[in-house]
Amino acid sequence: MDTTQKAPKPAIQTKNASFNYRKIKAVDNISIEIPRGISFGVLGPNGSGKTTFIRILVGLIKPKSGTVRTLGRNPSRKLAPHIGYMPQLPALYSELSIRQNVDFFARIYGIKNRAQRQQLVKEAITMVGLWPRRKDSISKLSGGMKQRVSLACAIVHKPRLLFLDEPTVGVDPALRVKFWEYFRSLTEKGATIIISSHTMDDAAHCDRLAFLREGRVIAMGSPDELKHATGSPEASLEDAFLYFVQRKEEERVSK
Amino acid sequence: MSVNNILAMASRVIRQLIRDRRTIALIVIVPIVVMSLITYALPSGTGVLDRYAPALIVTMALLFTFLLTGISFLRERSQGTLERMMASPVSRLDMVLGYILGFFAFALTQVIIILLFTIYALDIEYAGGLWRIFFFLILIVIMAVCLGIFASAFAKNELQMVQFIPLIIVPQIFLCGVVFPINQMNEVLQWIGKFLPLTYGVDGMRQIMLPDSILLTFKETGQILFGLGTDIGILAAFVIIMSILAAVGLRRGQSN
Repeated sequence: MDTTQKAPKPAIQTKNASFNYRKIKAVDNISIEIPRGISFGVLGPNGSGKTTFIRILVGLIKPKSGTVRTLGRNPSRKLAPHIGYMPQLPALYSELSIRQNVDFFARIYGIKNRAQRQQLVKEAITMVGLWPRRKDSISKLSGGMKQRVSLACAIVHKPRLLFLDEPTVGVDPALRVKFWEYFRSLTEKGATIIISSHTMDDAAHCDRLAFLREGRVIAMGSPDELKHATGSPEASLEDAFLYFVQRKEEERVSK
Repeated sequence: MSVNNILAMASRVIRQLIRDRRTIALIVIVPIVVMSLITYALPSGTGVLDRYAPALIVTMALLFTFLLTGISFLRERSQGTLERMMASPVSRLDMVLGYILGFFAFALTQVIIILLFTIYALDIEYAGGLWRIFFFLILIVIMAVCLGIFASAFAKNELQMVQFIPLIIVPQIFLCGVVFPINQMNEVLQWIGKFLPLTYGVDGMRQIMLPDSILLTFKETGQILFGLGTDIGILAAFVIIMSILAAVGLRRGQSN
């Protein structure tokens, strides 16, 4: 009996991916492999290249050099039905209601059956805790609520690969816990989640992390591995980040 | 191309506008106010309006549709929803076609208001069946929607978009023959005018709408430039070119 099964291709694979805005290197030579079924955090301060990197992975921009494979293929519109994307801006239609917004995205992601769509829209809005306010216009909502609707729009079609660009900004702690429970339930079902964030609170929830600084990956591993690498048993992820920043600086100086 | 996506886009655009009551009110009131102003600014009892009405109707349709679409599409860019759609299975052509269909409903409402108000309330003399006028205006409206989407690719905010009016619309108004007869203009301007869609819009509409006696004078003085078939053909070509340019232009701004 043939027991050698072909391993599924990683969710994401990049080789020396780079992107620059004129002279500014936003993404600098990133080579990364993200297996399927995990939550992967892209961590770094503002301007470290997180959003640009995610936009490359989604296929919104092409890397200026290097290669990117998303779900084993070149990022393109053919992959779009399997991908969910929550941009940094809430990116919603302010005149429309919560339900109309989520329903629109469900529809363009190919859920044609009305009854099925209604069910999925209800599930997504309930998940973000806004079902009682489903008829409210987006313009009446607070920043955090818009963020929640934006998440509902990204998950409504139950994608296999979910990109979330700073999803927890403006979301209160209790709901943040609920979000993470939901993200975990998705990865348990085999979905892959890529999250960018600058808060270490989000980082602690991820299965694996990449620390980004000035467009480069300065460290990669599980939260525990990264903490242990500092050599201090009580180190936090914040300490770990600072440790790797310092190490990179020292490497640069010694060169 | 996906019919489902086009319809989803169109119904979303329509819903958005319907929920914005003030915009709906302006869509109805603005053309009436503008047309009334122009009418009463012209010398009364001279039949001047009969001569100008076809060109004015086409110009208004182009101006209002261009503005409505341009600003709406710009908002789509600035609020990030365009980026979101770019990451979705919707193709760029579906987006443009969905927008055309959605805005078409409103632009057409506006055009019908302009047309009926001019014909019945301002009581102009016109020839040609209403349906012919109507179908010709459909071409103008589609062209204006594409032009609006395309122009929005070059604007970063509403202020810049509004400044496209003097750049894109005003030259067309001056060179299309609505203000001065084309054949009396400087030759270079006449030549430029032949590359602008409004010239064909005005030329065609005059042939459809003007009563025979006035049309004859226009023809004798060389103010009718082409045959109606040529006007329609060239406008259709503009529609195709503009919709392709609009789809191409969508990508602009996504990579920087």
